[in-house]
Amino acid sequence: MRLRNISYILGGFLFLLGLTMIFPLFWSIYYKEDDCIAFVISIAVTCLAGALLYFFSRPKDEDVSLAHKDGFLIVALVWVLAPACGSLPYLFYGALPHFTDAFFESISGFTTTGATVISGLDDLPHGILFWRSMTQWLGGMGIIVLSIAILPLLGVGGMQLYKAELPSPVKDKITPRVTETARTLWIVYIIISTVEFILLLFGGMDTFNAICHTFSTMSTGGFSTSDASIGQFHSSYIDGIITVFMFIAGVNFTLHYILLTGNIRPLLQNSEFRFYSAIVIAAILIVMVDLRCHLLDTVGSSIRYSSFQVVSILTTTGFTTANFDNWPVLSKTIILILMFFGGSAGSTAGGIKCLRILLILKQGYLELYRLIHPHAVKAVKLGKRIVYPETMASIWGFFILYLAVTIIAFILLSSLGLDIMTAFSAVVATIGNIGPGFGMINAASTYADIPAAGKWILSFLMIVGRLEIYTVIILLIPEFWRK
Amino acid sequence: MKVVVIGAGEVGRNISDILSKEGNDLIIIDKDEARLKTVTETLDVQTITGSGSSPRILKKAKLDQAEMVIAVTDSDETNIVACLIASTQSKVPFKIARIRMPDLDQNSVIFDKNHLKIDLCINPEREAVNKAISIMDYSGASEIIDFAEGRIKMVAFSIDRSCAAVGKNLIELNNLYGGDILIASIIRSNELIIPKGNSTIRAKDYIFAFAETKNVRTLLKFFGKDTEPVQRVFILGGGNTSLMLAEQLEVKGISTKIIEKRQDRCEMLSERLNKAVCLLGDGTSQDLLKEENIQEADYFIAVTGDEEANILSALLAKQLGAKRAICLINKVDYSHLIPIIGIDGVMNPRQATIGKILHFIRKGKIISATPLSDEKAEAVEFIALETSEITGKPLKNIKFPKGTIIGAIMRNNRVIIPGGDTMILPDDRVILVTLRSAISQIEKILTVKLDYF
Repeated sequence: MRLRNISYILGGFLFLLGLTMIFPLFWSIYYKEDDCIAFVISIAVTCLAGALLYFFSRPKDEDVSLAHKDGFLIVALVWVLAPACGSLPYLFYGALPHFTDAFFESISGFTTTGATVISGLDDLPHGILFWRSMTQWLGGMGIIVLSIAILPLLGVGGMQLYKAELPSPVKDKITPRVTETARTLWIVYIIISTVEFILLLFGGMDTFNAICHTFSTMSTGGFSTSDASIGQFHSSYIDGIITVFMFIAGVNFTLHYILLTGNIRPLLQNSEFRFYSAIVIAAILIVMVDLRCHLLDTVGSSIRYSSFQVVSILTTTGFTTANFDNWPVLSKTIILILMFFGGSAGSTAGGIKCLRILLILKQGYLELYRLIHPHAVKAVKLGKRIVYPETMASIWGFFILYLAVTIIAFILLSSLGLDIMTAFSAVVATIGNIGPGFGMINAASTYADIPAAGKWILSFLMIVGRLEIYTVIILLIPEFWRK
Repeated sequence: MKVVVIGAGEVGRNISDILSKEGNDLIIIDKDEARLKTVTETLDVQTITGSGSSPRILKKAKLDQAEMVIAVTDSDETNIVACLIASTQSKVPFKIARIRMPDLDQNSVIFDKNHLKIDLCINPEREAVNKAISIMDYSGASEIIDFAEGRIKMVAFSIDRSCAAVGKNLIELNNLYGGDILIASIIRSNELIIPKGNSTIRAKDYIFAFAETKNVRTLLKFFGKDTEPVQRVFILGGGNTSLMLAEQLEVKGISTKIIEKRQDRCEMLSERLNKAVCLLGDGTSQDLLKEENIQEADYFIAVTGDEEANILSALLAKQLGAKRAICLINKVDYSHLIPIIGIDGVMNPRQATIGKILHFIRKGKIISATPLSDEKAEAVEFIALETSEITGKPLKNIKFPKGTIIGAIMRNNRVIIPGGDTMILPDDRVILVTLRSAISQIEKILTVKLDYF
């Protein structure tokens, strides 16, 4: 472990993070609001801490190489330190006076969960609201991927970090260099975000809201600028646009890149994309029929609410236009199941990811097939490629660990005196980076009433979910620290 | 520069490592997913799983944007087809292929520019054999590298405990030698040192020194090396390498004995060779070696496919009285061991291949470049331009990147071993040794300054 190099790189990250806080500062200056000072102090603290780390641990011989293990440690540390620094504006402004709450809110932003402890969003200054959405946008494509794209300080080591942060079981590069790949992904991300921003403006949103909601849609985050979430706009056009872009954000960004280069075929032929679309359509149909039969009067509004909510939950965004806690049981069940699924691999969504579910289903089918044809040679295939047993094993490992972490956290939360539905949905909604759940934490309320210990457990789950289990859990294994 | 490398074996990986660190974009193709996995873990490159001779896979690798294709799979046919596709389907300007088959060499008609359009064919075994021959030409040296069309040589050798130079620094050494010796680098316990005037030489150092070709023997003698011409050679192993080696030794009139286990190989060798003695037997048998007078051998060269066996049998032969031993070793990891355990030279086909490819790639601003044995440094030869930053100034005033040393200058056919006051003049041929990390900086210094345009 090369502690010097690790803190050197961390310093660089923090400094960069401090600089990004300039954007909310602009808004608070523009609206002449009193959160301005909070941002100035936060920028100063973060940048100073970053600069100190950077200069005092600068390696002597310019050798910033990283050992294989260091990558995990750096990524995990960044994902703890960045939310810690990101919570400073909430603390200094006084929106959330307790560090537990501020950290929870901040980490919920960076991990694109969208679980909030703030009620009365509508009264907060623009700078703070903007920062909430912006942390989601940064965390969506990944703060480390962003740093790799613009900071030249990570040569080969960049790949280690990139792999540890990018949420996908299959890590293909789209260009030879990791810097180039990171840059391409960010450019694609920015392009799609811009399109959404413009379309939202057409829907009559003001610039501020359009940017904030673009940020939290594209990152599948789910922070809004109002307690009523997207429901505040009462516009089916905006519901529609956001539904479409949540869906887009839940697709592998490599496919978007290929699409932008003018090739639509790989997208349509992609097995995961087909599976993801099929789930979306099936879930929307079931929920729509259920809503129409038991709750709503018209087919139109059933389609509108069911499609928005299904896509919002499946892509782990967590925007709401209706409080689905009051929906019929079947719809609630579907939504709870979707929380486990998540979007596609390589997207900004959380959850287990469609790719893994698809491959596990294929594996299950294969076992049945082998019982029928004991001598058949057949492997799990994805498109035209065989999925190697090693990859399959790592997917199974992920699946089991995901469930294990969920169960342990569920038990811990239950011990804090929460009711069973609240405890369970809180765990699922945070490890899947979704946001709202059922019971005490339904779409109409917040996480504010969860006990402090519970908030720390949930904060941990959000990082575990965002970094796809392994990167975090590996740090808890004693073997990792052994020399 | 975009480079497509086909084959992620030792050669492919090493070449990719060097090129990628110098800022080129690399795409590596290999059939074996597990191999590619290790590649992506250590190198910043893109990988594609599939056959390198498939047009579809090559298209996926964006071959049409590539400027160079390096085909170094184990299969000659794949390499040839890959280069063929590169030139017909995508018009890639530079194609390099590794061709193993002994009957196909660079001069073969099929490699003519109009047929296969391969710019550089490398036969690793042949390269290794050439290396062994050049070592034997200057017996006593462990490695010989040619510069300036063979007029300047870089000689590598290890320092024995009994050597007069032990404990002396470079300035004292120059006085003792009564002329100019330029020691370009020292490998000491696995580390590469670019020496200064006050650096001292220690026993077991492995030294790279420059000398004019006619002075090489004197230099080696000075360092206590026996430079008697080679008369008798033992070769262990009867593969293709052995055959190529024996053929060349026959031409030089050196008496050769080949030891081979397999009857049919022995028969084949005796059919192909005229004077060499083919012995059927085990190279690690003391009786056989003694019976054939191993103590008279100037060189024992072990070239079987088993590198560990090569090392052990070479040590055994030396124990029994062979003067020197050379081993064929493919693992770069072993090369540090060689001077320590008392083996005098190495033939490393993979390293020779890498060296040859680098040599080809660096052409242009630089006439040639050769990697030094431990791969961390390169010897670079170039022609000084009038407009370059380094001309017209005494060397001591030039700011070179760390770990760079000017080894030799050739001006109007005269070889100058430079000192601090020497100036490089336009059109001089300059040879320098530099750490690999500084290569791109060196390239910048050598190029013309912009304000001259």
